[in-house]
Amino acid sequence: MSISLPTYQRREAPLLGRSQRVRAIITTGLSRELRRPAALFTTAIGVLFTTATSMVLLFLAPILIPGQPIDLSFFYVTASNFTILLFVTLMASVIGSGLIADDRDSMALTLYLSRPITGADYLIAKASVLTPLVALVSVLPLVLVPFVAFLLGLFPAEVALPAMGVGFAAGALLTAFYVSLSLSLSSMTRRKSYAAAGVFAVTFGLTIPAGVLASALNSPELLYLSPWEDFLAVARGVYGVSGGLIDWPGALAILLGATVLASLLAYLRMKAVEVVSG
Amino acid sequence: MTDVVEAKDLSKWYGQVLGLNGFTASFGSGITGLVGPNGAGKSTLFKLLIGQLHSDKGELRLLGEDPWNNVGLKHRIGYCPEHNQLYGWMTATRFVETLLRLDGMPAADARAKAAAALELVGLTSAKDRPLRTYSRGMRQRAKLAQALAHEPEILILDEPLSGADPVGRVQILKTIAGFARDGGHVLMSTHVLYEIERITENIVLIHNGKGIASGNLHAIRALIDKHPHAVRIATPTPRDLAKALASMDHVVSLEVPEPDVLVVRTRQPDAFYRELPGIVADGRLDVRGLESPDDSLEAVFRYLVG
Repeated sequence: MSISLPTYQRREAPLLGRSQRVRAIITTGLSRELRRPAALFTTAIGVLFTTATSMVLLFLAPILIPGQPIDLSFFYVTASNFTILLFVTLMASVIGSGLIADDRDSMALTLYLSRPITGADYLIAKASVLTPLVALVSVLPLVLVPFVAFLLGLFPAEVALPAMGVGFAAGALLTAFYVSLSLSLSSMTRRKSYAAAGVFAVTFGLTIPAGVLASALNSPELLYLSPWEDFLAVARGVYGVSGGLIDWPGALAILLGATVLASLLAYLRMKAVEVVSG
Repeated sequence: MTDVVEAKDLSKWYGQVLGLNGFTASFGSGITGLVGPNGAGKSTLFKLLIGQLHSDKGELRLLGEDPWNNVGLKHRIGYCPEHNQLYGWMTATRFVETLLRLDGMPAADARAKAAAALELVGLTSAKDRPLRTYSRGMRQRAKLAQALAHEPEILILDEPLSGADPVGRVQILKTIAGFARDGGHVLMSTHVLYEIERITENIVLIHNGKGIASGNLHAIRALIDKHPHAVRIATPTPRDLAKALASMDHVVSLEVPEPDVLVVRTRQPDAFYRELPGIVADGRLDVRGLESPDDSLEAVFRYLVG
């Protein structure tokens, strides 16, 4: 006769899939951001400024740009609103830069990754927290302005509806670039200030010198280095505006390439991340 | 039968700093205490076990599987880290629920399991308070609750008693013992040997990233008792207290390094802690604090590693 020791049998319960687990991180992440005064303030001010200035530009465009045709190209004025760049950069810095860096610094990442989720799940969840918030300043004004113009009877539906679609696409491109950039930088460090500085460096550290050097050296191709100039070139292309110093297909390729590269870097980083201290 | 944990020549470097240095050990079922001073490599071993660090050399198996990037294995592990919490604004209920949702548990089940786990660790009355309002000991219990709530096969507890008050310690040890009694495995680290002797006799000593001894607690305790255990007592009358303690035959030395501090070295720490309250009460002495640095354990380690 043999005696065997009791063994622990884990009670198997039906478990939900990956999307539900990702959703739990998103809910927690959004709850956290909505409790942070800095995030709330930046978001509120950003939505207010980008939307208000875009509306003002809508009404002032006929005065500021005499002879502006009442067609799709009219809405390029909204897309080229500099406050959009300013607040997208701020949102990416204030919110995006801390999404992973803070979790690494506080070791919350240890608890997240002690559960059956992958680095990719975590990254997708963090991107899902940041994307809607950034889209409030990058997509919302570009969609809202044509909609309001239509409601006010300033533009016919045949112009306003495509403008809303084009605005959504252009805003989504800018959002994707800044979300991937800030998450990539956030995954590289424990200090969100470093990641935030990186976002500013990529935006203004490239945009301003590129503009100055392109003008001084008479080399417009240097403008491809600036994400904002690339975005404006793409916007000119999709809104059907002629002119501009750089071509939109090249600019689009650079923005998409940079977005994919930053996402890939963040993914590889999360896949290989080791939670060292604690 | 495969051991719960099998480590063979396991090494981990952090740049120039050595986390683990050829660590070899096997942990069987039940409760195993991993004992070593701070910086010995306990947390590194645990991070390797939960798949959050990748070893530079050697082999590691947990429940027969390689833990690195092993998502499926995580369902079977309950991990309680030493320092961190999720977010301070979270209530304990939400904290445990969130982590259960990450396990894929439906919301209603997660709520019920979280409530049960928090009750198990004695936090029911405080379950709706934000974690930032918790004492360190309460946070330890909340972390233990999240580790237990999904009914894992093994609990990996990194210094679970660190900072816990006496009531919290009893609650934590009771919970761990209950889990093991139900057939679960527990791997628990501490830098104070006396903390875990109440719940297990299986000890692994780790020092400078190496496993230097493993086996029965009593054998190791006998070894430790050769090296006096130091207790630092804060008191305004150290000389009066020293006079009272001098009658204890296991006290090896008494020292007054500062005007309001008495350092006692004893060969029988258990007996010392048991008898001290009576002596203090009888002599109407004023004792304001007790501290037990782990230098006695260090002495054993120095002895073992030559």
